[in-house]
Amino acid sequence: MSARGRAIAAVAIRRCSAAAWRARFGLRRGHLRREAVARELRLACEQLGPAFIKLGQLASVRPDVFSPETVFELERLQDSVPPVPADEIRAILQAELGAAPERVFAHFDPEPIATASIAQVHAATLARDYRPVTGGLLPAGTRMAVKVVRPGIERVIAADLAVARRWAGRLERLARLSRLRPVALLGEFETTLASELDLRNEGRVADRFARDFADDPLVVVPRVAWPYTTRRVLTTEFVAGWRLNDLGEAQREGIDARRLAAHGAEVFMRQVLVHGRYHADLHPANLFVTPDGRICYLDFGITGRTTPRQRIAIAQVLAATVYGDAERALHYSRELGLEVPEGKVPAVRAAVAALMRTHLAGREQADVRGFALGFLSMLADFRIPIPAGYGLLIKALVTVEGVARAIYPDIDIIAAAKPFATRLIAAQLARPERLRERAPAAIRAALRELLA
Amino acid sequence: MNDFVRLLAAWALVHESADEGWKAAVARGDKLAPGELDQGPEAFVDGLAALVAEEKEKLKAALASGDAAGGPAPGADLGEVLDALRFELAELRGRIESLQASVDAIATRGRD
Repeated sequence: MSARGRAIAAVAIRRCSAAAWRARFGLRRGHLRREAVARELRLACEQLGPAFIKLGQLASVRPDVFSPETVFELERLQDSVPPVPADEIRAILQAELGAAPERVFAHFDPEPIATASIAQVHAATLARDYRPVTGGLLPAGTRMAVKVVRPGIERVIAADLAVARRWAGRLERLARLSRLRPVALLGEFETTLASELDLRNEGRVADRFARDFADDPLVVVPRVAWPYTTRRVLTTEFVAGWRLNDLGEAQREGIDARRLAAHGAEVFMRQVLVHGRYHADLHPANLFVTPDGRICYLDFGITGRTTPRQRIAIAQVLAATVYGDAERALHYSRELGLEVPEGKVPAVRAAVAALMRTHLAGREQADVRGFALGFLSMLADFRIPIPAGYGLLIKALVTVEGVARAIYPDIDIIAAAKPFATRLIAAQLARPERLRERAPAAIRAALRELLA
Repeated sequence: MNDFVRLLAAWALVHESADEGWKAAVARGDKLAPGELDQGPEAFVDGLAALVAEEKEKLKAALASGDAAGGPAPGADLGEVLDALRFELAELRGRIESLQASVDAIATRGRD
């Protein structure tokens, strides 16, 4: 076993022991036990470095595979890494752009403005005018953000993934863990990770989002400067603002926080239900609020897609949830791949209705997170498999609630969603093909009423 | 003849009552706070009426300004297609600019 393999094994053994103790060797109640294991898993990922932090982050958007406790714990993963020395960043920029950063940009700040496990960000200034893919010209002198992949990170990740593959192979042989399909899952994560390490992919997604929201004055997506963007470098407009973590009363005073929070929720629904692609990795570090009261979206590493057919079903599930209609929510969930065995339908429907009453309707402020956690746990208890896209969407909705509350703590996301959900259903019903489909039944029903 | 006029009068009365009912529903709907839409079918209808009235005003304004964005208009699809093509072309330009940067960098490294 390599030195790194031994180090990984040591952390795994230490954290497993801690998890066993915290779970009182399996004697604690179900969700307390799962919470204890999830916490140690997060700490292990943080201790093992970039590759495992990324694997943990990818696992945090897979409630179809991992328990809700694990998913919500892993979204708290933080990567505190020291910045890469300026000389090394300079060398990467020289190799990637063919010239020293001082020659490519009018100004380049060697001090990073943000550091993470995969990349770090530096401020720079455009040397000449540039017309981005969307919107108007970026004039010379525009402040830019230059994201640079950390040197050697691909090699570190490849080495760690090789160790992880061997472990996944061993875990697959354990009957209890084989249902998680560790080898196939790691393969999926490797593909996503490889895509994230090529920053051009993130740039393309950012351009698409910028186009989707070009007509929305409250949304900012930093535009990409492609002549200064390569596999390891991504140059975008710099957007000044506050991270959601740093948004205090003083910052909220200058903006219409309530309106912005409600609009943030609507923007997410537009992503899912109108454009068919959505930011699936929203967390406080990926969102800014600008001093002029706009929301800025960053980091498009993990995104979800929805087909037109799924969008109709999602809109119906959303509207049913908003109006507390468990039967309708389950009916349209089936169209999204949620297979509830016939014999379990009454019990599941009753459980969903109870969750809706407890977390959504019966409170002063709806609690989507509590509802989602209860819903996912209930599906696990009934041993009903969760389709991947469905799980990701539920998770994303919970995150949207968290984001909206970070902007305006008193927001009720369900109340905010109602006008949009109603408009959407009305728009869907008014579509000619839908009217054609429903008209004969409606006429028959009307005639029955008249002749009765 | 009298019956015909009476029929028209009945139609006008129905129309007038419906119009007044509609206006009252819109007014009630406007007063609803976001969380009150689910307080029974009446509240829902009032809320929906307010939403429809809001959309109607937008449509009216769009038609008055000659802007066809508010509803289907001849050539609207063509505009969307052209817009999508323009975006794809701009995307392609971006890819080429990025590739050009990489090619230039490799060429510079080759010369050094």
